[in-house]
Amino acid sequence: MTAPDPRTHAADPAGTAEALPGQADPAGTGPVTVDPVTVEIIRNAVISAADDMNATLMRSAYTPIIYECGDCVVALLDDEHQVLGQSAGLPIFLGNLESCTRATEERFGREVWQPGDVWILNDSYLGGTHLNDVTIFGPVFTGEELVGFTATRAHWIDVGSKDPGGSMDSVNIFQEGLRMGPQKLVEGGEEVKAVIDTIATNVRFPYPTTGDMNAMIATIRMGQTRLAELVDRFGTARLRAARDEIFRQTEELEREVVRAIPDGVYTAEGVLDNDGIDLDTTVAVRLRITVSGDRLEFDITESADQTVGPINCGAAQAVSACRVGYKLLVSPDVPGNGGSFRPLSVRVREGSVFGALPPAACQWYFSHLGLLIDLVAKALAPVLPDRVAAASHGDSMIVMFAGVDPRNTRPYVSLEATLGGWGAWEGSDGQDALINNVNGSLKDIPVEVLESRFPLRVREYGIRPDSGGAGQWRGGNGVVREYEALADCTVSLWFERSLTPAWGLFDGRDATPPEVIVNPGREDERRLLKCNGLALRAGDVVRCATGGGGGFGPVERRERAAVAADLRDGHITPEVARASYGSPAG
Amino acid sequence: MSGLRVSMDIGGTFTDVVAYDERTGRYRAGKASTTPHDLTEGVIAALSTVLPPGEAGPADISFLVHGTTQGLNAFLQRRGTRVLLLASEGASDTYHIARGPRTRLYDLHYRKPEPLVPRGDIEPIGGRLAADGAELTALDEDAVRRAARRFGDEGFEAVAVAYLFSHANPAHELRTRELLREELGESVTVSLSHEAANEWREYERTSSAVLEAYIGPVVQRYLTTLGATLKQRGLAVPLHVMQSSGGVNTADSARHRPLQTLLSGPVGGTMGGVALSRTLERPHLICMDMGGTSFDVSLVVDGRPDVTSEARLEGLPILMSVVDIHTIGAGGGSVAWQEAGGLRVGPRSAGASPGPACYARGGTEPTVTDADLVLGRIDEATFAGGEFAPRSELARQAVGALGERLGLDAVAMAEGVCEVAGAKMAQAVRTITVSRGIEPRDFSLVAFGGAGPMHAVALARELGIPEVVVPRFPGAFSAWGMLETEIRRDFAEPFFRPEEDLDRAEMAELLEKTAAEALGSLDSEGVPAERRRTECAADIRYQAQEYTLTVPLADPREPLREDFPARIAARFADLHQERYGHANLGAPLEFVALRTTALGALDAAPPELLPAAASEEFVHRTRPVVFDGRRLETVVVDREVLSPGHELSGPALVLEPTATTVVPPGHRLRLDAHGSLVIREEKK
Repeated sequence: MTAPDPRTHAADPAGTAEALPGQADPAGTGPVTVDPVTVEIIRNAVISAADDMNATLMRSAYTPIIYECGDCVVALLDDEHQVLGQSAGLPIFLGNLESCTRATEERFGREVWQPGDVWILNDSYLGGTHLNDVTIFGPVFTGEELVGFTATRAHWIDVGSKDPGGSMDSVNIFQEGLRMGPQKLVEGGEEVKAVIDTIATNVRFPYPTTGDMNAMIATIRMGQTRLAELVDRFGTARLRAARDEIFRQTEELEREVVRAIPDGVYTAEGVLDNDGIDLDTTVAVRLRITVSGDRLEFDITESADQTVGPINCGAAQAVSACRVGYKLLVSPDVPGNGGSFRPLSVRVREGSVFGALPPAACQWYFSHLGLLIDLVAKALAPVLPDRVAAASHGDSMIVMFAGVDPRNTRPYVSLEATLGGWGAWEGSDGQDALINNVNGSLKDIPVEVLESRFPLRVREYGIRPDSGGAGQWRGGNGVVREYEALADCTVSLWFERSLTPAWGLFDGRDATPPEVIVNPGREDERRLLKCNGLALRAGDVVRCATGGGGGFGPVERRERAAVAADLRDGHITPEVARASYGSPAG
Repeated sequence: MSGLRVSMDIGGTFTDVVAYDERTGRYRAGKASTTPHDLTEGVIAALSTVLPPGEAGPADISFLVHGTTQGLNAFLQRRGTRVLLLASEGASDTYHIARGPRTRLYDLHYRKPEPLVPRGDIEPIGGRLAADGAELTALDEDAVRRAARRFGDEGFEAVAVAYLFSHANPAHELRTRELLREELGESVTVSLSHEAANEWREYERTSSAVLEAYIGPVVQRYLTTLGATLKQRGLAVPLHVMQSSGGVNTADSARHRPLQTLLSGPVGGTMGGVALSRTLERPHLICMDMGGTSFDVSLVVDGRPDVTSEARLEGLPILMSVVDIHTIGAGGGSVAWQEAGGLRVGPRSAGASPGPACYARGGTEPTVTDADLVLGRIDEATFAGGEFAPRSELARQAVGALGERLGLDAVAMAEGVCEVAGAKMAQAVRTITVSRGIEPRDFSLVAFGGAGPMHAVALARELGIPEVVVPRFPGAFSAWGMLETEIRRDFAEPFFRPEEDLDRAEMAELLEKTAAEALGSLDSEGVPAERRRTECAADIRYQAQEYTLTVPLADPREPLREDFPARIAARFADLHQERYGHANLGAPLEFVALRTTALGALDAAPPELLPAAASEEFVHRTRPVVFDGRRLETVVVDREVLSPGHELSGPALVLEPTATTVVPPGHRLRLDAHGSLVIREEKK
């Protein structure tokens, strides 16, 4: 460095500017309205805006199913209902919030959007999921101009179904609670008190429910502020141009992956045990994937007709599940937006379990969706061996206790999903005790929290050895969770996938299915997987065991040291070591 | 004894040291390379930079505090001790089940956090308590003795004990320790979960106890060695250690509670922010520490650090008081790259090797540092502490090549890289403030660390923050902050009560008991009685909510007031409104825990007032630097020539050995009475 040129200086330097060469024309591709730097700033800004919305919701929600289980999603949409940015707590909500704003606009016309309004909707046939999943959304205006929408969906703990929190045996939508088409919660910034009162009088727990509703409204507003700031800063035209470029980038990334999959037809199928009503009839899920060039078609029209029991969903939700299955394999790390899923088309049949028509019951809409998501990996395993994994235990494995707590004479409902094993993949054993795919980042309820809150005791909570499928890479193990009722109560159960347990891949073995025993070893012992409101007496025991994940690769290829380590750490028993791996203990 | 108050921040690369001379009222800062094989070597070398041989030595030190990454490194490199875990029979898989969430939702190959104890090293122990602490089955003492024998036979080094409901009744855990000591001797390291973290939720408590056992012996050995070495060299006062909570403890206390040292390094910066907030008279600060690979953000709100009660390390939870520091993968080494025809910056970092292209170590991808260099914002003479000169032509080549692919010339590309990096950092800061319910516009931004001052003003502009402060010794600010803090001990007491079941007398009694215990705990810290005080608070939430807010209480007797329920409800509602944007006054509350903090004031080094400038003028030079697409003649000045009262307008660069402060056009910088650079946007 040359010696500095010392000058005395008091205040301002005379900022003499030297003109620099301007920006080059990027590849001469016609009119450029927005440069790559601005595009990237906007791309990050919308992701961050969605994060801000999510942070608002998670921090201010009242019920654990939102803040603890993450049973929620937020999104920013543009004025054409395309996703600008979203933050998913729950994968199965992927990319169907726009169906709510679209349905509203189709029903009432575009002029229905007015500044300061907030809308609510939970109709299963519009939103796709069960009535508990409530979507709240609102238009975003800058001045007079409609520039987009913000939306959030979260699970409400009760919407007035015939049984608290939801029923295991509903046969039509009317038993499942308050069903709302699109309507206004807030009009011109003022709460619509009559609507809020109607909601509060139709749900069992109005106080936390209205708390969650307020948290969702705050979330919408946070998104509105962020989106309006972006419009103010960049202007509508530049924002649109940036959006198109962002979508193009996302699409290109996905098409590149799809293009690498060999053309062909790939199929997979499985069954649910039953629909919860007719316990002797299985429900088929059939997936047929056609790959041609950079396009994928998922055809699920051959799946079962809609059922009497509550395992149906609206088509919007079936599309979401296909998107989850696709994203797991094609674009796990690409933030979702309106450019996502363009290579994917989905064929759903009206009147099937995936395209339910009124008044089909939809309460347990996720069981066949979870299976469908797993089947995507199974179908494409032959051509994407490095990206897939063997199947997971596959369902939410719900245990719900309800009764009155004798310690304080208050009614309670305890609702839990149970963890299970996940499938192995090339190079790794599967993971033990994880939540299933449709429940996102849900955590189990600590024994200390459960026993403090409810008159229940957890006699055992541990990993279930041998439940994962054997293989070169072993499937993860499920869990055992055994409860004792300390007071009379009822238990409702929804355990699935006993007939299609987690399958292995590439000669890896299938996992052990789930099992629930009431009063094991006693005279009145009974085994069942689904029930609604089974009466229990104080001292009764419910032992729930979930399935493991599938194995990957042939058992002969498993290293002896790995078998020995599994024995030492108790992941497998000596009997299974011998039977599956021909290995004497140690 | 002549008084030198000395602090040391032992980082991965450098050991920073700051000394305050009580006689002259002046500060000095120095540094030496950290010597990982034997940290004491680097410490002694660093000390000698501020205690020149012949002038002063360890014997002249009146107070010595340091921050250490010993425990953290042992954890990160997985070279802690082998731990045997004793857990409740029937629930002994708690640690491996780990509550089962999948935090990467679209990852079919998701893995849980890697546990520190394999399943085979967990011993189920009979004995069960109920939720209220009542004993259902007695402790199986034979099982504990069998575990002790296994410990000896298999060469374990530490035991963690975590039983269900030990927070409600610690009897079984305490008895277990007695038995283990009977079998294994007094010196065996035993971490009890209710001592490591006295809160409900068995997985999180178990994880805390395991982590404490895992790093405990490493931290203990290190503290013993360092203490002995310094004593040998003449140190006559106790060695203090920075705590994750923002307070300090004696090394003796830290040996008992090693977990609290885990995150002690970066916390010094936040505590420096707290001290700065007093001298600046700014209650709200956002502190940013930007280095080569990461960007740490923390908040000072109402003059206090943002302390939370739970942290996570590589996915493993720890229940303890910890200054909330958010780390974002953005730094000088963040790589700019192209994906699907678009620009991306980070999160990947070039690190130190190959490092930015200008390091000439084989890196060809452009980084934020390369972009800064292309724009002329980096002083080549002081680059990398003057250890080597950057190769600008390599930076230009790398940035230019990326620009060519994206249709931008090298300079526009370089500005773009800085803009995107700045915007990403700003958004991360914004999300942090949103989740705290804070508006960044009400804050000042304090920038330190090697790269912080270079990007601070751009970041502030993006966030609408009106003022940026670059303190003295920005490279050693974390060490400086350690000199400005207090002795601190935290106590938590589970107190799960729905509002309607609240017994106010019981609550006051519990608080008073804990306060007495907390004050007593300062005996071992050597704090004289008149400098001790306690603060108490309650963790409260609306019934059925999960997250609690820590609501300060006036004093332990406040619950006795007749109007306590109304007062606490209003205070909680205010906090809830502030944090979450809505409140529900009148909705039923739930108490979850009581918190008591014992604080012991130290002779904090008073802020040094620098002599005012004799004249408005100062020596400087100019050179062209790019701002907003234009190459502007820019004032370049060495920080050491600036004195309080000096002011200048951007564009300007202020240089010092560890950092360069960039003042863009339209901004005005002044030096305040304590030597901080204060930068504000100029009024139009």
